[in-house]
Parts: sequence; C-alpha cells; structure tokens
Amino acid sequence: MDIMLLAPEIVIAVTGLAVLLIGLFLPTDSKKVLGYLASLGVLVALGLTISSLGTEATLFNNTVTIDALSQYFKIVFLVVALLFSIAGIKYTEGHSHTEEFFTLGLFGTIGMMFVASANDLMVLFVAFELASLATYALAGFEKKNAKSLEAAMKYFIIGSLSAALMLLGISYVYGATGTTSIPEIAANSATLVSSPMGIVAVVLLLAGFGFKIALVPFHMWAPDTYQGSPSVVSALLAAGSKKMGIVAALKVFVVALIALKADWQIAFAILAVITMTYGNVVALKQTSVKRMLAYSSLAQAGYITMAFVVLTPLALGGGIFYALSHGFMKAGAFIATAAVTYMVLSENKDSADPDHIDNFRGLGKRMPITALCMTIFVFALAGIPLTAGYMSKFVLFSSTIQAGFVWLAVIAILNSAISLGYYAKIVKYMYFLPTDGDKVSEPFPYTIALIVAAIGVLAIGFWSEPFVHWAMEAASVLIPGGM
Amino acid sequence: MMPILSMIVLIPLIFAALALFTKTKEQARVIALAGTVIVLLLTVYMYFNFDSTIADNQFEELAQWVPSLGITYHLGVDGIAMPLILLNAIVLPLLVLFTWNDDRKSPNKFYALILATEGAVIGVFTALDFFLFYVFWELTLIPLFFMVSIWGGPNKHKAAIKFFIYTHVASLVMLLGIFGLYFAAWDLTGTPSLDIPYLIGQFQFIESGIAKDMIFLALLFGFIVKIPSFPFHSWLPDAYTEAPTAGSVLFVMLKIGGYGLFKVMLPMLPFTASPNLMITIMAVLGSVSILYGAFLALSQKDMKRMVAYSSVSHMGYVTLGAAGLISLSVSGAMFQQFSHGLIMSIMFMSCGVINNTTGTRIMNNLGGLAQKMPKLAVIMVLTFMASLGLPGLTGFIAEVSVLAGSFVNLPSYVIIAVMAIVITAAYHLWALQRAMFGVYNEKLGTVTDINVFQTFSMGVIAILIVYFGLHPTPVLDMMITNSDHIVSLMAAMGV
Repeated sequence: MDIMLLAPEIVIAVTGLAVLLIGLFLPTDSKKVLGYLASLGVLVALGLTISSLGTEATLFNNTVTIDALSQYFKIVFLVVALLFSIAGIKYTEGHSHTEEFFTLGLFGTIGMMFVASANDLMVLFVAFELASLATYALAGFEKKNAKSLEAAMKYFIIGSLSAALMLLGISYVYGATGTTSIPEIAANSATLVSSPMGIVAVVLLLAGFGFKIALVPFHMWAPDTYQGSPSVVSALLAAGSKKMGIVAALKVFVVALIALKADWQIAFAILAVITMTYGNVVALKQTSVKRMLAYSSLAQAGYITMAFVVLTPLALGGGIFYALSHGFMKAGAFIATAAVTYMVLSENKDSADPDHIDNFRGLGKRMPITALCMTIFVFALAGIPLTAGYMSKFVLFSSTIQAGFVWLAVIAILNSAISLGYYAKIVKYMYFLPTDGDKVSEPFPYTIALIVAAIGVLAIGFWSEPFVHWAMEAASVLIPGGM
Repeated sequence: MMPILSMIVLIPLIFAALALFTKTKEQARVIALAGTVIVLLLTVYMYFNFDSTIADNQFEELAQWVPSLGITYHLGVDGIAMPLILLNAIVLPLLVLFTWNDDRKSPNKFYALILATEGAVIGVFTALDFFLFYVFWELTLIPLFFMVSIWGGPNKHKAAIKFFIYTHVASLVMLLGIFGLYFAAWDLTGTPSLDIPYLIGQFQFIESGIAKDMIFLALLFGFIVKIPSFPFHSWLPDAYTEAPTAGSVLFVMLKIGGYGLFKVMLPMLPFTASPNLMITIMAVLGSVSILYGAFLALSQKDMKRMVAYSSVSHMGYVTLGAAGLISLSVSGAMFQQFSHGLIMSIMFMSCGVINNTTGTRIMNNLGGLAQKMPKLAVIMVLTFMASLGLPGLTGFIAEVSVLAGSFVNLPSYVIIAVMAIVITAAYHLWALQRAMFGVYNEKLGTVTDINVFQTFSMGVIAILIVYFGLHPTPVLDMMITNSDHIVSLMAAMGV
C-alpha cells in the first residue's frame, strides 16, 4: 500500500494538529498566523489532490478507494475548506479560541474527504460522524450568542438522530447481505431485493441522508442552523457538509443499493419536487439573508436530487458538476454575508440581526467588491448564463429531459424562475436602494475568499469543458458500463 | 480575416464596462457614442462585403467551446440577421445623441445598460449555436430590467418585474424546446450538438409525432411572447410605457422574437407533424394581434400607451406574414421588423420629448403643440404617416407585402387584418389632431422645441424612413433571397 496516496488527508491532519498545538502557545492577538497556516495546509492538500488526478487504487483491505469520484469530491471539499479558512482569518480575529476553530474545520474536512473515498459502510459512517462532530462544535462557536447555541443544539440533536437512523439502516443492509463493503453489497443485492429488510433499509437510509442533505420534510433544522451559526461556518455547512451527504448517498444508493432502484427512485423524485418547491417559495418571504440562503440551499439540494431520479450518466455527471458549482456559489454567498455582518457589527455591536436584508441597502456603494461578488453568486445560484450555476442547470435539467422526465424538468425550470425573485431582491437592495452609511474598507481576508469564489464561479461558467468532462468521469465510477 | 462578428458583439459589451467606470455624464456619453459609432462603422463595412444573393450564413466564426456537450462558439449572419443588425447599429448612436443633453441620475449606469443591450441583441442575431443564442437571449433581459426599474415611470417596479417574469418564463419554455431538439438529434446521430443550422436540419429526421409538435410549439411560444403577440402581449404596454424613452427605444430594437420566427421556426415548419395546424396558429395570432392591438390603441388616452399598443398591432404583421408562406409575405414581414424599428424609435422619442416639456402625455391635455414645436411636428407627422401605412414610406411596403402575399394562402385572416387599417389610420390621425394641432393649450406653460441633438437623431431616422420607403432594395434584397430559400423549402415539402 502506498501511503502517499493519502498525502492530502495526511497534510490536513498534520496541519490541524499543528494549528492546535501552536495556538496553545500564542497570545490571542498573534493567533492570526494560524489562519494563514491552515489555509496554506489546505492549499497544499488541494495541490496534492490535483496532481494525483487519474490515480486509481484501493487501500486498507478495499475499504477506501481512490478513484475519479473520490478525487472530484475531495477537491470540492478542499475548495470549500480553503474558502472557509481564508474567511476564518478575519472571523476569528481577536478570538481566544482561534486554534479550535481552524482545527475543527480541518478535521471536519478530513471526515468529508474520507466519506468521498469510503468503499465500506463502516468507514463511511465513521468518517461521516467525524465531519459531523466537528461541525456541531463549529455551529455553536459563538458561545455567548443564544442563536448560535440554539443552532448547534438543533443541529446536534437532529444530526445524532439521523446518524442513528443511518446506522440502523446500515445494520439492516448488513443483516441481509452479510457485508458492509459497498461493492460486495452491490454483488449480493439479490438477497436485499427479495427480503422486506431491503425496503426497511432504504427507508431508514433515506431518512438518514435526507436529514443530512436537508431534503424536505427532513429539513427543519437547516434554516435555524444556517442562520444561527457564524456565517463562515454556514458556508462550510451548506457548501461542504451537504455535499458530503450527497456523495455518501451516491455511494449508498447508486452503487450499493442499485438493485433496489425501483423502491428509492420514486421517493427521490417526490423529495426532489417538494424540496425545491418548498425551498424556493419560503425563501421568497425571508428578510434574513442567511435564512434566505438556507432555503435557497434546500432548493438547490432539490435540484441535485434529480440526479438520483434520472440516473443516466449525463444526469449523475450533471449532479456531480452541480455540487462543485454549488460549493463555490453558496460558500461565496455566505462569506459575503459574513463580510456584511462584520461591517454591521463593527458599527453597532448590539445589532440583533446583522444579516437582515436592510443591511444590504446600498452595499454597492459601501462595499463595492463584496457587492459585486455577491451579485455574481446570486446570479449564478439563479442560473443566469455564463456562470457555473447556469452550466450546471443546463447539464442537469437537460439530462432530465433526455431521460424522458419532462415533467420533472418543467417543475425544476419553473422553480428556477421563482428563485430569481429573491435573488434579484438582494441585488436590488445592494444597488438600487439608498443607504445612509458611508463607504467602509472591506476586510482583506473576506475579500480574498470572495474573489477566489467568484473566479471559480465565472471560470466554471465560461470554461466548462474540463469541469464537465471531469464530472462525467467521476460519474462513470458510479455506473461502470452505463445504465 | 478579422473576426468582425465577435467584434460587433464584444465592443458594445466592453464599452459598457468602460462606461460603468466613468464619473461624469460627459465621459459616459462620449464612451457610449464611441462604442455605438464603432459598431456602426463595422456594420457598414460588413454590409458592403455582404453577398445579398445567397441565403447562407456569412462571416462565420467557429470554435469549440464545450465539446463534450456539443457547445460551440459559432457566429454568422444571413439576410435575416443582417438588416436587423444594421437597424440596431444605425439607431443606437442616434439614441445616444438623442439623450445627449438629458440630466439623470447615474448616467454611467444608463449608458452602460444601453451598450450592454446593444451587445446582447446583436449577439442574438449573430449566434449560430443554441447555447450562445440562449445566453444572449437571456442577457437582453437584464439591462432592460434595470433600465425600467431605475429610470422608469411611477409604476416602474411592477412593470419591470412583470416584463422580467413573463419573458423569462417564455424563455424557459423555449429552452425546453431547445433541449428537446438537442436530445432528439443526439439520439439520432449519437453526437451532441447545439449548432442551430445543424439542429434545424436534423429536425426533419426526428421520428414524427406529438413530441415533434411539442418541440416546435415550445420554441414558438418563446418567440411569440417576445414579439409579442396576442394573447401574450400584456407585459408590453406596461414595460414600454413605464420605461424611460431610451428604454422604450431599446425595447423596440429587440426584434429577437420575430427573428426567431424566420430563422428557426419557418425552416422547421414543413417538418412538423401537422404543419397546417402550426400555420393556422400563427395566422390566428398574427391577425388577431393586428386588429386587437389597433382597437386597444384607439381607446388609449396616454400617447405613449397608444404607441405601445400600436406596436402589438404592427408586430402582428410579422407573425401573419411569416405564416403567409409566400416569398412576398415573408420578406414583407421581415421588412416590417426593420421598418417598425425605425418608426417606433421616433414615436417613442416624440412621446418622451412631449412628456419632458409639457409634463403630460395625456392627449386631451395637450393640443396645438405644432405651433410651439414645429420641428417635432414635421418629424412626427411624417412618422405617423409612415406608421399608418402611407405609400412612399417604409410602413407601406411592409404592410402591403404582408397583406398581398398572405392573401394567397390565408385570405380569411387577411380580411380580419385589413379591417384594422381603418382603425390604424383613425387612431394615428386622431392622436395627431388632439396633441399637435388645433388651438394651443395655454395651460401647458413654456414649451420648447426639440434641441439640436434630438432634431439630428430623429431627423436622420425620419430621412431613413423616407429613403427606404422609396428605395427598399438595399435591405429588401437580402430578405427576399432568404425568404425565397425558406419558401422553396416549404414547396419541396408540399406545405
């Protein structure tokens, strides 16, 4: 076994530990360096992952695989982690627990990366929990803020419940097939199809993943958690840990339980439709930008879920491609909100809801770079052409039509039109409503993170070929030889 | 050879970005004038190098973009697109001049949006790949949306949202049609492609059936709403009326709906499962729009609203002529697009000038303006005559060709349309009489005539209306070549 294949994970782990240890010996006001260190570590890991593209191997008795799919999602997670740690530099400024913040973020990222590589349900579950525990703590990072605590509490309780359901589902699968190895389950799935245990397992797993991906009706925690968590953490949750749920669901349903397709396909169809519609309609009425983004995140998850219904190579590629685009767009949008929150709190320390949409009034004048980047993100989320969001919708929606699910595509497209309503509202507030505030200097780390994300969104939109190609390659791992 | 099409699309967009960063009105308008004039010069150069005798795409540019999905960067113009590009290239610099002395907030954004619209509209006319086509198609929405919502009238927000949602939904339906065509052709040949001429060519090989008609209707819906045609016209009067003058003129330049009819729909028509049904749909929509739009225009009190409804009526000729399927009617319909662009620009400019100087557009509150505004009066009378179809002016050529041509295949629909002629004459003349002639209404206060920039820009367009009315061949030749081509295709299929 070549340990070098795990170099990115090792780099992240070492960086996480180093940040934690160094942090103990640093005075609060010089802890800024930790954020730079964490970002550097993520950047190195990202470089290592990109340089090892095309490698295929299995490790640890076939429980961990390195293939196009895992590499792809690792890059998604590392990109989000990079944005998280760059933006975190500003967020943690002057905070005495800086080292915990970055270490938790990095450990959470390792968990996500292992979910992407997992080839065994036990590894998948453990990795899932590693990532979840880290993010539970991060959600409640603002110990003195009641909203943050509530966010963490809800997230923790519901997260644990979903973990329990998932574990129970896994135990049924194990009971029927006698194995936890994903490829072996797929090979032995005849026993699952014939026994009622199969259905029970599908229901339990669906509920477990439904919580994680925040599909309606398992979404209740998401808006509160995304709103209550620090914005930088919300970025990690919405852009990172949600993608972890998606890659895990891909492995469990599309690979392991493909024989039960008839049972879960229709369930995903229903979940996709309610999730996207509910998310978009409720988002229209929100006055808190973070809450609006949380509901829009539900809607986006609904779109991605269509890939589970359509199940053609193009659709799965489209869903995977969407995951990358969404990582950039959503993380960017939350970080832009973080910058606004920072601005509001630095002017008025007691502001009860710093992410209220009124605070975005005239942002185009006050924080031009943040406003421009936010415009790019929300237009991308809405699917305006030449952004990553448009390309993703193009591939995903068109694959739905190709496969004959015209009704589903029509619903998705109409939803997309609804979503313009609230995305355009943010732009309207930023550029067309007057403000009495003055121009403020934009916090440097936030700006860097925003620009990186905006470049990502535009690059994927303009120069899609390599990304689409790459997503298709990742999808081909799921369905060797086509459907 | 230089990539002239890329240039005429990108130059306005680049200048739009430049205009955005200007600090003063003076800088912004100079950038806008420079950008639009460069496009005009390039377009004129293109026009002189354009071969009007062939129906093929010319000045083509082709590059791979996203090969795994069959997306290319493919540009080209034919005789359907060229006159419309010419129309935009001519009117836009004049529009900038028209607004030269206006005072408004954020002139940098204003001129940036004008330039962005120009780039997007020309983009639609040059795109030969559906992906690119759709990108530009949607891009036209954004600047116009902002144009209405920032500088529009009292109901601007409602009008802007209505316009956006209405036409965006239509575009999405069109997108569904594009997807349908794309995948049907993909299944057939095994290779993905979004190339417009290629997909139109493949349409005939798709297995016949309801799906084929659905693809056609989905695309048709997208275009019909943009034209707009009865019963999908209700966004237009609001958007046109609430928009600032420049915005209304830009809306008029947005001839992409009619363009889609000629470029995409007609070549596909003979291969649909039920071509006669499709022709009937188009004919009904066209003739009803002509008559219904005219009636609504007649009942308006607000001059700008009247002009907006007259637009519904006049664009009905485009749909009807397209359905007529005779070379004469099709080329007449294409010419109507060109002529309507010129005429409506002046009509909206006139409404804007009147509103600015008198503070009202309600025709009964005006009266006798010709005494105080002689220059405007001359130009307006000429344009109104052109609009109601007086021989010797562009409107006549277009309408006669459409009516005479369509009569061959669609006599009953032409009869419906002909009834509108009387009403059209009535509301034009009545409007002139109420607003411009008669006793001067003293309550209006100090009224000033159009300034030198406005006289120049409106004057040039008026001269073009006369010029092309007497001598339409420079643009009509291109249109005839293409309509012959389309019609011969139909004849070959026995439609």
